[in-house]
Amino acid sequence: MAVDRRAEEQQLTALMIDYQKGDMDAFTGLYDALKRPLIRYLWTFVRNQTMAEDLLQETFLQLHRARQSYTPPRPVRPWIYAITRHVALMHLRSMRRRKEILPDEDLPEVPVPPEVDQLADRRTVQRLLAALPRKAQEVLILHHLLGMSFDEVGQIIGIAPGTAKVRAHRALKKIRENLVEEGA
Amino acid sequence: MSLESLPNGLRQAIENDHQPVRPLHPAWMRTIFAVAIMAVVLAFVLAKASLRPDIDQLPMWLSWGCSALQLALGILLIGLALRESVPGEGIPRGAVRIAALTALAVQILVGIATSIFSPAIAMPGSGIAPGIGCLKHETAMALPTFAVTLWLVFRALPLRAPTVGLLGGAGATVASDALIHLLCPMSNLSHVLVWHTGAVILFMAVGWTVGATWQRRHFQRDS
Repeated sequence: MAVDRRAEEQQLTALMIDYQKGDMDAFTGLYDALKRPLIRYLWTFVRNQTMAEDLLQETFLQLHRARQSYTPPRPVRPWIYAITRHVALMHLRSMRRRKEILPDEDLPEVPVPPEVDQLADRRTVQRLLAALPRKAQEVLILHHLLGMSFDEVGQIIGIAPGTAKVRAHRALKKIRENLVEEGA
Repeated sequence: MSLESLPNGLRQAIENDHQPVRPLHPAWMRTIFAVAIMAVVLAFVLAKASLRPDIDQLPMWLSWGCSALQLALGILLIGLALRESVPGEGIPRGAVRIAALTALAVQILVGIATSIFSPAIAMPGSGIAPGIGCLKHETAMALPTFAVTLWLVFRALPLRAPTVGLLGGAGATVASDALIHLLCPMSNLSHVLVWHTGAVILFMAVGWTVGATWQRRHFQRDS
């Protein structure tokens, strides 16, 4: 699926500026534009669709309270994904404290870009993705599935862009190795 | 398009508060604001206090040079704290570690160099009384900058609030120690390490604790 990243980013920036001015339709626009990729990202943390949807609401609540902290014309996505990641990590921390375990579910359907899709059939790729450690999976999903640059991935996770690149490379290598092992 | 397409819980929360907001200024502008407060405090103290008695006997690089270095490092740390306080502008963890360790290393190295190059000056009484005096002065000088930095930080959304607090605490005290270094007549290493470096560590710990408390309250109020 070819997506014009620049046009998409400009649209998000325009929505965010309107939202800061008090336009609630812009908030709905942001929610609609980001709902699916954010659920996909949240899934990497909780591996449960219902919980991911709950955390999406919490993410947008935090985003609403901190809407003044976005400075135009910076890219919107690193700002939103960093908040999303933090909401997920805080939830995981609170779950660990309460010793709760959620059942793992299948991955929700998301667009898979060609460089990952070509490795095997979609179901196999998604299964192998799910089997990766969370840190590797997170970088791979942000870069290869959600189309973030390594600079953006670094800003979201709080690591150097080079580190993000190495993590993504190793994750992809691991998927390829697992595919070879499975004889795919 | 309207709020009706949003999930119920989210819609209700949003409907209660949809006032326009003014975006925060970029991190560098907020740093200038914190530095302006710091400059006022340090200029006031410099105007009122007298320089250390051995200032003319110290090499320039050790007196004014190290002071300028500490000041620059303090401003850099405050800038990092303010940048880190905005989601998506986080600095790599390695850079945070390097910044915090550099702050401590500079403090220690300046202390060692001063004890080597400064002519011995005998101070009356034990080291505790002048030490407490230095700690009080350093705290009084660092506190306004520290408070303003934290205020600016928490107006944004620091996702690693303890780290941000630690950087802010380190920045405020390293910058105020830049002036204390020019004022304090004590050159013995134990005094500088315990009371001057101790003040930096104390503010780093306070910043970390304030950040951790803020984070716990802010992110657990709805969960």
